[in-house]
Amino acid sequence: MTTKEDTMKYVLLLTRGAWQEEGSEQERAEVFDGIVEWFTKHRADGTIVEANQLREPETATTVVVEEGHSSMIDRPLLEAKEAIGGYAIVEVPDLDAALELAASFPVPDGKVEVRPIVER
Amino acid sequence: MSSADPVGAQATRSLIERVFREEAGRLTASLVRLLGDFDLAEEMVGEAVVEALRRWPSTGPPRRPGAWLLTCARNKALDRIRREARFKDRLPQLAARIEALPDSAEREPDDRLRLIFTCCHPALDPDAQVALTLRAVVGLTTAEIARAFMVPEPTLAKRVTRAKRKIATAGIPYRAPEPEERAERLPQVMRVVYLVFNEGCFTTGGDLGVRRELVDDAEWLAALLAAALPQEPEPLGLLALIRLHAARWPARLDAGGRLVPLADQDRTRWDAQRIRSATALIERAASLGRTGPYQIEAAITAVHCEAPGWKETDWPQLLRLYDMLLALDPSPVVRLNRAVVISHTEGPAAALAQVEALTGRLARYHLFHATRAALLRDLGREEEAAAADREALHLTANPAERSLLTARLHGDEGTG
Repeated sequence: MTTKEDTMKYVLLLTRGAWQEEGSEQERAEVFDGIVEWFTKHRADGTIVEANQLREPETATTVVVEEGHSSMIDRPLLEAKEAIGGYAIVEVPDLDAALELAASFPVPDGKVEVRPIVER
Repeated sequence: MSSADPVGAQATRSLIERVFREEAGRLTASLVRLLGDFDLAEEMVGEAVVEALRRWPSTGPPRRPGAWLLTCARNKALDRIRREARFKDRLPQLAARIEALPDSAEREPDDRLRLIFTCCHPALDPDAQVALTLRAVVGLTTAEIARAFMVPEPTLAKRVTRAKRKIATAGIPYRAPEPEERAERLPQVMRVVYLVFNEGCFTTGGDLGVRRELVDDAEWLAALLAAALPQEPEPLGLLALIRLHAARWPARLDAGGRLVPLADQDRTRWDAQRIRSATALIERAASLGRTGPYQIEAAITAVHCEAPGWKETDWPQLLRLYDMLLALDPSPVVRLNRAVVISHTEGPAAALAQVEALTGRLARYHLFHATRAALLRDLGREEEAAAADREALHLTANPAERSLLTARLHGDEGTG
């Protein structure tokens, strides 16, 4: 449909919605099934170039560099309610396509930041 | 337009403004599409206008000013893309397409539609959508937009620059939505046009001349949408609504610059021809068979415009229209306006009860207090009415509304 020159790359940063903490185990399992299906479908059609789920935010360490020295903080960069749960790199014709894809991410709640990737 | 008579500088300037609005907007839109660069496109068209301003006062305007501007901007664009390295790879292709830009008569409104949908893209901040539309589609300068919205010019300029940059770097597509996605995107575009109109007609105040121009700009944008999407009824409704308000404009202020309530306006000063043209638009929209909030608002305004006097207004018809509007838009402001109609069909006590039920949601809205004051006054409750008017005065910055409220508080409203 489109040649490589006509596409743009975006990263979709997926937050962990409240559903990951709440709801029954079965409800969570159903959502996960939907997510897996979504990734499988969009990997197969070539829209998703790469995607990964991240370990829980409690496993994150934030490294801060100041005046050439680094120190560490035992927590993620972002507040718990906006903690990133995973990401996907997508290749689509334009922002509309990326936004449509983000809106179709099958979760009960959550946010998706859509950011263009600098291509060199 | 066909005359080549030498004209004065002032007339030349107003001719250029008119041509600019009709032609340069289209031309900018075409160039943005070809070059993928807002700033460059605007710059080329801007240079052509400067050239026109320099030449036309001495030579007289050309026979076809639009075509002249097109040729001039086209040449400037060609010079520029030949000089700029970033266009090198695409040069032959671009040059051919710019050469082939059709004359205005053959040009479709498609490019401008693309431009307006891009400027009103939901990924842009709503304030930026309004500013960018006025800048890129209407062709106002950032200084003019800043003045109209009473925003410092650097703030406004930054807003426009940021939006343009986001369009380019985030990959916002330069296109109008396909018919099937239009239902989702069109309301957003109409909202931007409505905001421009609303700012001109009702809100923050500032220079009256500037605000009148905003109403004209909104009318022009609505006409553009209506012409480009002839099968969509709501842009026709929006255009009719704006045109009806514009028709009443000459009567809305008294000699002292004070807002004249609709009830007291001199209806002989309304523009009857514009009202007729607007009601024809409403009928055309209705014939398309899909009603919507703008069409109903326009119909409500038309009922007022067609009444020979305030007392002769068809209140039962208005009530029917407000009930339809409420079904689509159950907002407290619509309920407030409906209560005004109730005061004429059932009396002020019934209306006041409905208004007071909205206190919690509209306590910060000056027209809530002004409406309540008028009803209290009808019921002879003078002191409470004065308190409500003071509250309304406290909440509005609009100078024309302020002077009306102040006059009411001093008891000299009966003169109108």
